[in-house]
Amino acid sequence: MQNSPLFSSYEMLKDTWDEMYASDFKLREQYEIVSSYLQKSSPEDLRKKEDLSKQLFMNQGVTFTVYNDEKGIEKIFPFDILPRIITHNEWEKIDKGIKQRITALNLFLKDIYHDQFILKDKIIPVDLVYSCPYFLREMKGVTPPHDIYVHITGVDLIRNNNGEFYVLEDNLRTPSGVSYMLENREISKRIFPGILPQNNVLTVSNYPNILYEKLKSCSNQPDPNVVLLTPGIYNSAYYEHTTLARLMGIELVEGSDLVVKDHMVFMKTTFGLKRVDVIYRRVDDEYLDPLEFNATSILGVAGIMAAYRKGNVTIVNAPGTGIADDKAVYTYVPDMIRYYLNEEPILKNIETYQLGKPEDLEYVKNNISKMVIKKTDGSGGYGMLMGHEASEKDIEDYFATVDKNPAAFIAQPILKLSTAPCYIDGKLTPRCVDLRPFAIYGPDGIKICPGGLTRVALKKGSLVVNSSQGGGSKDTWVIK
Amino acid sequence: MLSRVANNLMWMNRYMERGYSILRLLKVNFSANQDSPELFSWTPIIKNYAGVDASFQTENAIECIDFMVFNYDNPNSIINLVTKSRENARSAQEHIPRELWLGINSYFLHLQDTNLPEKLKHQDPVEFLDSLLNYQLLHYGNIEVTQERGSAYYFMNVGKLLERVIQISDFTSMKLMEISKTSDSLERSFHWKYLLLSIGAYQLYLKKYKSSFHEDNVISVIFQEQLFPKSLYYCVNKLSRHINELIQTNELVKNDLEFLLGKLESTIKYTTIENINEQGLENFIASIKQDIKNISMSINNVYFSTKS
Repeated sequence: MQNSPLFSSYEMLKDTWDEMYASDFKLREQYEIVSSYLQKSSPEDLRKKEDLSKQLFMNQGVTFTVYNDEKGIEKIFPFDILPRIITHNEWEKIDKGIKQRITALNLFLKDIYHDQFILKDKIIPVDLVYSCPYFLREMKGVTPPHDIYVHITGVDLIRNNNGEFYVLEDNLRTPSGVSYMLENREISKRIFPGILPQNNVLTVSNYPNILYEKLKSCSNQPDPNVVLLTPGIYNSAYYEHTTLARLMGIELVEGSDLVVKDHMVFMKTTFGLKRVDVIYRRVDDEYLDPLEFNATSILGVAGIMAAYRKGNVTIVNAPGTGIADDKAVYTYVPDMIRYYLNEEPILKNIETYQLGKPEDLEYVKNNISKMVIKKTDGSGGYGMLMGHEASEKDIEDYFATVDKNPAAFIAQPILKLSTAPCYIDGKLTPRCVDLRPFAIYGPDGIKICPGGLTRVALKKGSLVVNSSQGGGSKDTWVIK
Repeated sequence: MLSRVANNLMWMNRYMERGYSILRLLKVNFSANQDSPELFSWTPIIKNYAGVDASFQTENAIECIDFMVFNYDNPNSIINLVTKSRENARSAQEHIPRELWLGINSYFLHLQDTNLPEKLKHQDPVEFLDSLLNYQLLHYGNIEVTQERGSAYYFMNVGKLLERVIQISDFTSMKLMEISKTSDSLERSFHWKYLLLSIGAYQLYLKKYKSSFHEDNVISVIFQEQLFPKSLYYCVNKLSRHINELIQTNELVKNDLEFLLGKLESTIKYTTIENINEQGLENFIASIKQDIKNISMSINNVYFSTKS
C-alpha cells in the first residue's frame, strides 16, 4: 500500500481480480510507471486533468444529444482518466483467442446459410436456429464476397477472479464504441504527457486506415466507392459515425441519400447518381430494406437486399449475422470451434444454462441468488434479472415471464468482474470493468486493434458497464 | 458531393449569416433605443423575426435581446439558429475543415452555458453582443483560411450571400415602415443613419457623403456600391460568380438559374436612383426579394427533385 492520500482508501473487493494490485496490495508491474506519476501529482492536478478531459470531449463534439422539450442537451459518456493496462502476454492470448473465435463464427454463418452441416450433424439443435429472430431466410444461399460475414466485431471480454479472460458476448451486428477507443487515447496523450511512450504502449490510431483498407478489399471493383450508412443525427452513436467517415475520408450517407436502380445502389450527388460498392452500415438488419424487412423503415434503402443478392454491393457486416451472437447460440460457440477448426477454444465461454431445457431451468430456479438471467435476443443490459439483488417479488414476476417461453432466456452464474482503479471524488477506487477489443476481418485475414474499449461500472458495487446504464469508459493500453 | 451535404452546407451558412445580421441589428438598435426609445422601438424587430403573430412583446431592451438570443420559441433566436447551423455542420463533417466544426461547436456550447443569460442582465449588453459577434466572425475567418476552394466553399458562400441579400432587404423594408410614420426630416435622417450602421455601411457613407443623410445617397450606398461587401450590388455579383463556378463544374444544373441570376444582376446594375424612386423603393425591394426566392427555389429543386 502506498503512502499517498490518493491511494489511501483503495478497498479491494473480496474474491476479485484487481488490474492494478495483486492480492497482497503488491503493485502489478504494468502499473508502476502510472502509479509513480500519480504519486507525484497533487489532488489539484488530477482534478484539473479530469476537468480537461470533460472539456475536450465537449469541445470536440464527442457527445450525444438528449432531447428535452425543444432543447437539445449535449451529454458526454463518462470517461475515467486512469488507463486500464494489459500486458503483452495477456494480449497475445486475447488476440489469438478472438481470431480463433471469429474464424469459427464466420464459418458457422457460411454453413448455416448454405449446407447446414452443423445442424445435420446435430451439433446445434435445428429449432434453436430457426426460432431465432436474427436468422434471416433472405440470406439462404447468398454468398458474400470472399465468404466474409463478420467484417467488424467487438467481442466483450471479462476477467474472472482467477485472472482468466472469458467471452461474455460476441457482438457481431454493429458493435459501437470504437470511436471512444480512439478519442480516449487522444485524451490520455494530453493528460499523461510522456507516459505512453515510457510505457511502450501500442498505438490504436491507425484503426481507421486498416478499416478502410479492409472495406475496400471487400469489393471486386478496382477503385470501389465505400460509404458509411447511418440512421441519422438522432442516433446516439452518430458521433461515432461522423468520426469514422471523416477519418476514413468516405461519405457518411443516410438512407434517403441512396437509391437502387437496376439492382445497383447509387448515392445522390451534386453531379448526379454515383455508384456505391461497399456499405459499412450502422443500421440494423430489420431497418435495412423496407421491401424485405420492416416495411415502415425510413432508415434503409428500398431494394438494397436484391442488389446485395445480385452481388452488386457489399454490405458490412452481412445481413443475418445476428444468428451467431444470439445468447442461446453463444452456448455452442466452443462446440463450433471444435467442429469447424478441430481446435480447443483459447478463450472460454461463461457457463450458460438454457432455460428451454427443463433440467437447466430447475437448477437456475434453485440457485437464483447466484444467477443472472438474460433474454437471448437482448442487448444493452436491458431485461436482465440479477438474482443476488432482486426481491422475491421481482424474481417471481420474472419467472412468470420466463415460463411463457423459457427458450427465449438463458442464465449465467453472477461473475466477479475484475476491478480497475478509477479516479472518483479525489480518490482511487476500484470499479468493475470489461474489455471490448475491435477486430476487422478482411480477405487477407483478421486484424485486432491492440487495445479496445474498457467499459467501467461507475456505480459502487455495480456489474453493469453499459453506457445506457451508468457505465463509463477508460483508455486501454496494451504494452508492446 | 452528396446533394444532401451541399444543402447542409448552404443552410449552415444561411443560419449563420442570419444570426450575424440579427446580432448587428440588436447592437445598433440598442444604442439608438437608448437615445430615443419612441423612435427606435423593439416591436418591428420582434415582429420581423418571431412572426407577426408572436405573442411576445416588450419595449425593455434587455428583455428583447434575451428573447432574440435565448428564446426557444422564437424560430430566429440566436440559440435556435446556431443549433440548426451546427446540426447542418455536424452531418457534413467529412467535408469541412476540423477548425470550422470546432468553431461552430464552441459557439453552440457557449450559448448553452446556463450562466450566459445572467451575464446579459448584469453586464454591458454591447460587450455581450460583441462576444457573440466574435464567434460569427471566427466562423467566416475559419472558412476563408481553411476551406479549400471547391464546391463545398461555393455552396457555403451561396447560402451566406442569399441570406445576406434577404437581410439587407429586410432591414431596409423595416426602416421604410418606420420612416413612413414621420415627416420630420431630422427623425428621418436618424433612421437612415441607423440603417447604415446596422448594415455596417456607416463609415463608408461618411467617407463618401459626410455626415448628412439623404435618402438617395443612402440607397445608392446600400444598393449600388460596387466595392462594399455588404451592398446588394456586391452580394449579387458574388452570388452569381459562385453559382457560375458550380454550374461550370456541373454541380448545379443551369435550368432557369442562369436566367434568374442575370435578370437580378442587371436589375441592380442598371436601375438608377430615379428609376427606383419612380417605382417606389418598397416595390423595388419586393421585386429583389422575389428574385432571390426564385433563385433559392431553383437551387432547392435540384436537390429535392423526385427525378433522379
